[in-house]
Amino acid sequence: MKKIVALVLALAMMLSLTSVFAEDEVVTLKVSSIWSAETEANRAPFLKTLEEFEAAYPNIKLEVEWYEANAWKETGETLALSDSLPDVFYWNAGGVLWNLVGSGDILPLNDYLTEDIMARMEPGLLVDMTFDGQIYQLPYTKAASMLYCNTELFTQYGVKIPETWDELLTAVKTFREAGVTPMALGGADQWPTNMYTDIIALRFAGDEACRAAYYKDEGATFMTQDWVDGMAAFKQLIDLGAFPEDAASLTRDESEVPFFNGEIPMYYHGQWFAGSLSPEMQQKVVAIKFPAVGRGYDNQYMGGAAEGFCVSSYTEHPDEAFIAAQFFAEHQSKNGYISGAGLPAWKYDFSEYTELNPVMSQIVEATSTADSMLLWGNTALTGEDATLIGTTVYSVLMGELTPEEWCAEMETIFE
Amino acid sequence: MKRVLSNKWSIAVFVLPTVLFFTYIVIIPIFKTFYFSFLNEIPAAVKKGEESAYIGLGNFIKMFTPGKRNAFFPGAVVNSLVYAALSIFVQLPFSLLIALILAHGVKGESLYRNTFFIPVVISSVVISLLWHRIYKDLIPAIYDSLDLALPKGGFLANKSTKHMAVYIPNLWQFVGYHMLLMYGALKSIPSDVIEAATVDGASAPRMALSIQIPMIKPMLKVCLSFSLIGSFKLFDTPWILLERSNMDLPALSMYVEMFSNHKYSYASAQAMFIVFECLAFTMLLNYIFKDRDDRSLKRGKRGAAA
Repeated sequence: MKKIVALVLALAMMLSLTSVFAEDEVVTLKVSSIWSAETEANRAPFLKTLEEFEAAYPNIKLEVEWYEANAWKETGETLALSDSLPDVFYWNAGGVLWNLVGSGDILPLNDYLTEDIMARMEPGLLVDMTFDGQIYQLPYTKAASMLYCNTELFTQYGVKIPETWDELLTAVKTFREAGVTPMALGGADQWPTNMYTDIIALRFAGDEACRAAYYKDEGATFMTQDWVDGMAAFKQLIDLGAFPEDAASLTRDESEVPFFNGEIPMYYHGQWFAGSLSPEMQQKVVAIKFPAVGRGYDNQYMGGAAEGFCVSSYTEHPDEAFIAAQFFAEHQSKNGYISGAGLPAWKYDFSEYTELNPVMSQIVEATSTADSMLLWGNTALTGEDATLIGTTVYSVLMGELTPEEWCAEMETIFE
Repeated sequence: MKRVLSNKWSIAVFVLPTVLFFTYIVIIPIFKTFYFSFLNEIPAAVKKGEESAYIGLGNFIKMFTPGKRNAFFPGAVVNSLVYAALSIFVQLPFSLLIALILAHGVKGESLYRNTFFIPVVISSVVISLLWHRIYKDLIPAIYDSLDLALPKGGFLANKSTKHMAVYIPNLWQFVGYHMLLMYGALKSIPSDVIEAATVDGASAPRMALSIQIPMIKPMLKVCLSFSLIGSFKLFDTPWILLERSNMDLPALSMYVEMFSNHKYSYASAQAMFIVFECLAFTMLLNYIFKDRDDRSLKRGKRGAAA
């Protein structure tokens, strides 16, 4: 009963808002999104979100520009230089957001965020979107990287799905001996390799040490045995032949094809990968926590709220832009989860949806009990530090840097 | 009409819009980049509480100071010089050879000419993807059948092979371009000269060395300049074929510093370096060719006096 009343009230509020705007003139907002490719799991849900927005706010007209993720990152940075970012736009959290906040391009949203809105958001997601107490971004999804295992291959080769590091090594060895490439990896794009090194470092060094290093806190360092152990463990995987032989020259898309075809049993990647699994594969694949190492950091995850919508500080219609950004975040959260593109960042009752992606549900369940979630190193770090963590990890993959040399190289970001 | 066009004022009126537009989108940005290269940070990207200051040649000195984080650039310049040398000593002679053979007249001349020219018409992106497949599928398959071991990580990732793997598609693509320029020049040599040489009994190689090549020297100079400048600016193929954030060539380094590392003024300095490098080499070419022209002119005069 309470729910129905709340729903009616919400509807009434929406209708009254709509009627208020109906008397106003039509306002046009420029919007940028990153889902230009038809294959993007978030594209269809975002189109639905836009449709819902148009229905709810007929007096706010949207001019949407579509980009590819990397292209938008570069275009957005360039637009920021000439103060010409669109009114509402997609952006990453952490270091890249801090860049734009530092140059005064983003509107703080504290004045607009009512308690009611804040209560609908999942708690603890604004860590990487808040600077000096000001909230600059609203998340539409939370991220988590997971280990995806193709159960069919595990059964076929009689391998146990790994829960500990030793079991992972055994699995890698067994698959390699059987002539199966154990894990997918697209090294040419660099960041897929960081996915692996980030989580292994997290298991060996723990959330606190990793967070301090990625956020360049006072006294943080890469020169500890824990970091060396983490990179050495990654090196161990390389030496055991865990990855494809030409991993360093594979792009992410290429590297994922064998997994989709059921030829590679394991892949450690972000939750969006679950959204690109075919319905058939969704039945065969399970998403699990990265194997435990036993240093007390085994229930920690890489991820968090890393993507959201921002309002530019020079928009001519800040009120409407906020309404749009908030609407996009909340509705994309719902639509994205229903279509299997991502994990929700806003509270919503999904019980009526029975055909949800089972792999995605596994991720929601696993991360709901996480001890902590840490943003990826290359997202938390900015500019050349982010480039460096990409290129140095690539060098480790190529065997050009030892674990110790990697730590020394990364230590230069504190200079 | 003729009177209108010979009036300087009317010429100015017609040319002015283009000049203004060109100045606005080309000339001013070049000078602005030049100005930015002397700052510690460009004004638009300055963080709150900091300011953009003039640091003289600081960025240029940093570019060539060996250091952990900025040691890439000199290496990138060396790589581009290697590529330039390959273009000049491998690609251009090859183009010239094909042009000479085609101009000499072979059966199916236009078919060959067009075939060699096709890669030039195709977009660099398509060429890169094509070679990507060659390196990823074709060559490994050949190696496999011959029981040879591929270099570690594959041709496009291995440090010792990846640069060559990127140069080859570029060299291959533009052979046709230079070939066509040279072929055009060869075809425009007056036929009486060729006939006279034939009557005198010159063989094909002799004719090429003593008559055709000297007569197309202006075009060879154009080809040389194009391939030199092209080598220094090489960007698209390596960007697609190599791993992200690769800084092994000057243009790649400039791009990564600018758009990934957000060091706008430092990247501007690298951009200016590329501009000056191109200018310097173009002037050097001019000097070399001018020198030769003068000398041969003097020789000619002396011969006439005798």
